[in-house]
Amino acid sequence: MEKKKRKALWRGLSSLMCFILAFSILLGNILEANAGTIDTYLGTLSEVTVSENTEENPLYDKFAPPAELLNEDGTGNSTALIQAAMDLNRREVAEGAVLLKNDNNVLPLSSGSNVTLLGIRSHVNLLGSSFGVKAQGPYISLEQALSQNRTDFANTITTTQNTNATSREVATSVNKTMESWTGEEFDFEGAGFNVNPTMVEIYDKLNETYNHANNENAEEVYNPGEPSVEEIAAVNGSYQDSFAQYGDAAIVVLGRPSAESKDFLPGGIAEGLDFEHDEPLSLTQNELDAVELAKQCSDKVIVLISSSSSVEIGTLKNDPEVDAIMWIGAPGCYGMLGVADILCGRVSPSGGLFDIFTTYNMSAPAMQNMGKMYYTNTAEEITRTGGVLGFVPGAYTIEAEGIYVGYRYYETRYYDAVAGTGNATDPTGAYASTTEWNYDNEVTYGFGYGMSYTDFSFAFEGEPQFDISTDPETGAPNAYATFNVRVTNTGDVAGKTPVQIYGQAPYTPGGVEKSAIQLLNFEKSSELQPGESEVIPVKVDLQYIASYDETYDNGDGTTGTYIMDPGDYYFSVGNGAHDALNHIMAAQGMDATRMVGAGNAQQAYMVNITEDFISKTMFSVSKTGYPIHNQLPYADWNYYQPGEVTYLSRTDWAGTYPKSYDAMTLTNEELINNLNGKTYTLQTSDDTSDIVWGADNGIQFYEMYGVPYDDPKWDQLLDQLTLEEAMYIFSFGGPSIPGADSIGTVETYMTENAGNGIAVALNASKDPNAPWAIPASDVNGSWHPEVFANAPIGASTFNPELMYELGVFTGIESLFTGINILWGPGLNTHRHAYNGRNGEYYSEDPVLSGVAAMEFAIGALEYGLVAAPKHFAFNDQESERGGVSPYMTEQRAREVELRAYQIAFEATKYDTEEYDAGMRGLMTSFSKIGSIECTTSEGLMTEILANEWGFIGYAVTDIYDDVDLWTAVLNSGTTCFDTRGQSGFYGATTLESSNLFQNLIEGVGLNAHLIDGDANLQLKLKDAVHKNIYAWTESHLMNRYNATTHTESQMTWWRATYYAVGGISAVLMVASAAMYVLSSKGKKK
Amino acid sequence: MNIKNQGPAFYCNVLAAILGIAGVILTIVSSTMTVDNALPNITVLAVAGIIGVILVAVAAYLPNRRGNSDLISAAAVLGAIALYMYTLGGAAIQRVMLIAGLFSYNANNTAGWNIFYVSVAAWVCLLVGIVFLIIGSFTKSVKETA
Repeated sequence: MEKKKRKALWRGLSSLMCFILAFSILLGNILEANAGTIDTYLGTLSEVTVSENTEENPLYDKFAPPAELLNEDGTGNSTALIQAAMDLNRREVAEGAVLLKNDNNVLPLSSGSNVTLLGIRSHVNLLGSSFGVKAQGPYISLEQALSQNRTDFANTITTTQNTNATSREVATSVNKTMESWTGEEFDFEGAGFNVNPTMVEIYDKLNETYNHANNENAEEVYNPGEPSVEEIAAVNGSYQDSFAQYGDAAIVVLGRPSAESKDFLPGGIAEGLDFEHDEPLSLTQNELDAVELAKQCSDKVIVLISSSSSVEIGTLKNDPEVDAIMWIGAPGCYGMLGVADILCGRVSPSGGLFDIFTTYNMSAPAMQNMGKMYYTNTAEEITRTGGVLGFVPGAYTIEAEGIYVGYRYYETRYYDAVAGTGNATDPTGAYASTTEWNYDNEVTYGFGYGMSYTDFSFAFEGEPQFDISTDPETGAPNAYATFNVRVTNTGDVAGKTPVQIYGQAPYTPGGVEKSAIQLLNFEKSSELQPGESEVIPVKVDLQYIASYDETYDNGDGTTGTYIMDPGDYYFSVGNGAHDALNHIMAAQGMDATRMVGAGNAQQAYMVNITEDFISKTMFSVSKTGYPIHNQLPYADWNYYQPGEVTYLSRTDWAGTYPKSYDAMTLTNEELINNLNGKTYTLQTSDDTSDIVWGADNGIQFYEMYGVPYDDPKWDQLLDQLTLEEAMYIFSFGGPSIPGADSIGTVETYMTENAGNGIAVALNASKDPNAPWAIPASDVNGSWHPEVFANAPIGASTFNPELMYELGVFTGIESLFTGINILWGPGLNTHRHAYNGRNGEYYSEDPVLSGVAAMEFAIGALEYGLVAAPKHFAFNDQESERGGVSPYMTEQRAREVELRAYQIAFEATKYDTEEYDAGMRGLMTSFSKIGSIECTTSEGLMTEILANEWGFIGYAVTDIYDDVDLWTAVLNSGTTCFDTRGQSGFYGATTLESSNLFQNLIEGVGLNAHLIDGDANLQLKLKDAVHKNIYAWTESHLMNRYNATTHTESQMTWWRATYYAVGGISAVLMVASAAMYVLSSKGKKK
Repeated sequence: MNIKNQGPAFYCNVLAAILGIAGVILTIVSSTMTVDNALPNITVLAVAGIIGVILVAVAAYLPNRRGNSDLISAAAVLGAIALYMYTLGGAAIQRVMLIAGLFSYNANNTAGWNIFYVSVAAWVCLLVGIVFLIIGSFTKSVKETA
């Protein structure tokens, strides 16, 4: 009996071990397949690129961190790096926070003030986004910044809301962004206040059920999760007793989150919260009650707004008992130090609003058409599937607001209302009144507006200097006006101020639509002492006051180009768009009694532009000398089905104010074909014999550092590639460099998110052999450099130098983390306040956004980091972001969304005689432009991006996007796919084995012979690979490449674990099986 | 084969076979829910699963002929465990990126969630089937007369 039991035991054990062995093999396969991602999250290194440092081909001699961030022996100094990040984030927020109201100069508060913090956001600070631009790792809270002088990183680690959470009725899950911090603590200079501990304890207790996090996202049915007064009292019934001791000031913090994947939606509010305007960006009764509590606590009531969109705070603006309002964005891990600097008066605020703050966000004409709208006949007409990401086919939005996005709408309508033109005062589109449209009612705080603790005067110093010429060979325009602005600090404390130059082009009713005011450029003053002044030159590219006329006959068979109508052009300097417009209106002698605010004609400048000075078509040629004409006709719904959409026109505000186009029906065959992805016909029998692949020219990738893009050596290198290698680079070259034997590349992971730092911990560096690499053993090795504020804070600084500095620092971070291409910053414009992803994008204004991105990218490239802004283009909402069709006029596309990219990509500011500066990367959008995927739009990717703007570099799709349109994506000029998780297989993935490319629109799977007979695509492939490799060679990847470069597998702990488990279980299985056989034989015997 | 003469392993193997069939069917269903998320190696995975089920059937039947100490049925159980794991793992590896997306940037992917639920059901079936196989291998397949 005992023997039988033993036999059963051996048999059972062999089965169990067989399972464990199989499980370990499975686990190993999964781990190896995702090794790059796992390394990033666990801080391990499963594969390293190794090169030998030789005299002929020295390593790490091209880019290096600055000496102040290195130890004497050249190794990285993590302490200095973290301290530098803290300082920069602090300055970023100190300059980007926007003071909106400061009655009776209630701010700044004096040192030693006893303050009470109210609102649950005062305790669980909103610092970043739950997905996208997340604030990672240890942070400094508002409470600490106000009252402490040393970090408590060990106990203050940011948290993230579970992005799948859809309701606050049930507590959502919250995770720490880092398990623990065992690194250094740092001293800092706080505000020197004393913070009411009673309220801190109450909110701490309440958050046990509210589960707020430092990184959160918008919700389609939103609940800000602000506790009621009753809930506060339930925790501590005598909480108000603490007000007497801490009543020097009451600071209320109210917030609205932002993150990718979800929007706020019109009317999308949780029940029972009594939202003031029944909209998610209006305040709830509990939030207003928190403000009332503040009034009970102190006669100094300060409200901080933590958001990345316009929050409806008109009530607070008009409440005389609310003394001060300051917008602080999502300030990042250390940004509360900047907030504290302002509150205590160490720094005078100097930010300007990144977006207009309206009384009702729904009053924006764009809001009539956002959210989830689907063609009525999607099921009948749309045959293309939703792709591997399961996108919903048939979603669209009609951007009927035309060019009137953000402040352009409100200010232009205001101008016409004062002028008495265009039915501007008609109540159509008014939300604050049923009888008239009135700017003062509709707008709370204007774009670019911001207060200071001091006062500034602005005056033009002499005439602007115009520099107008045309390249005699190419016709490329060179047209700039430099305005010298004397800025004087007329107040009592030192401070900085933005210097914003706006412009107005002459408008003819019925003619091309023109905004009454638009930002043209900006600079920021240095810190001026009281009475001090300086002259600041602001150089304006006059191209940005030109208008795109889609109907203009170019006389060469094409239509549409930029025009400069002859007439009076006005320029002004002001504290925001509204102030600047008022100055222009004053200069034009408009009725001051009808204006909202006062204008000063001295702050405006008029110049009459004639054909002799600037010809009407001067800007019909791009800076590259390429003729400009319509490239995106398919963006406009009316192109297919004429007359069905009316775009907003200032000729008749009332008659053209957008209706909601929520039930469009597809009838046009071309439109339907485009939506079904049938935009490229694969050729099978072209003569491709002239296209060289697989040549032996003896050139290696590492030799291409510094070789100009148009050098013939590139052709020799590209000819060495086999067609299959080139297809592989195009298909999988987004996240990592695929190994290509013919040119000596080895598979190297090279990319990461985000715009607020590099999303890789120091101890997970992809370049551990760098002399400055910070090892896992470093006390601060787990520090995660994604710590900076959301993008709107950077924009609101209106400080190009600081924007550049942010790029430089991110470039330095990239050297420490071994990431040479950054998927960021976000560069879409804020079409409206409800875009859940506004926190990743800078602003509603393309000049502000474009300059911010340009400065960031040029700064990053200084340290060898290729910044790839996203999402090119038209990601105007997250709702159905996968393939949504935004329809718009080409004028709108070019003057709003694309202008931001144009400024960044052209980077004219940094061009020299010898060097054409520009960004070297971008990521395309999930969305379409009209009926065509952005990834497949030749007009967008080749004609505008490459030919007009001269973009040369890496242009990657978003993750797994449009993989079924492989041929059309290649044809458009996109240079590679983002195949995260598929790349990094170290040779295991082939063109044929990847599941991503098995359902091409042509009805076949991707294979090495797909384009054998298509000469056009083979040439496009060469071009795509050329641009990819060129971008790589511009990056610090070249630090670690030479003739000896190869990869080596490393024994990580997780690899060792599954090896060990597998090995032991295999041995035990064999042993158990053997024992079972022996015992069985024994019985027979 | 007298049903009254069957031991615990027999019943475990029967349950494992049923669960194996369910797992294979669900794996195939998960692969056919959307054309974009089809498993490229579904044929191999399905065949492996089916062979696994056949091996389980062999393991359930043979002891009636050859007794509890039958080596072939013991080996069949090992083979079935390996094949069940192969089907499970082969599908799971292909679903890693889908699942990663669902729990992060692509939580709104309704079709993806449906695939996820069906896939998880398939994996649970196969995994529980393996557990039954392991439990069964510790026990007798047929009752032995003294």
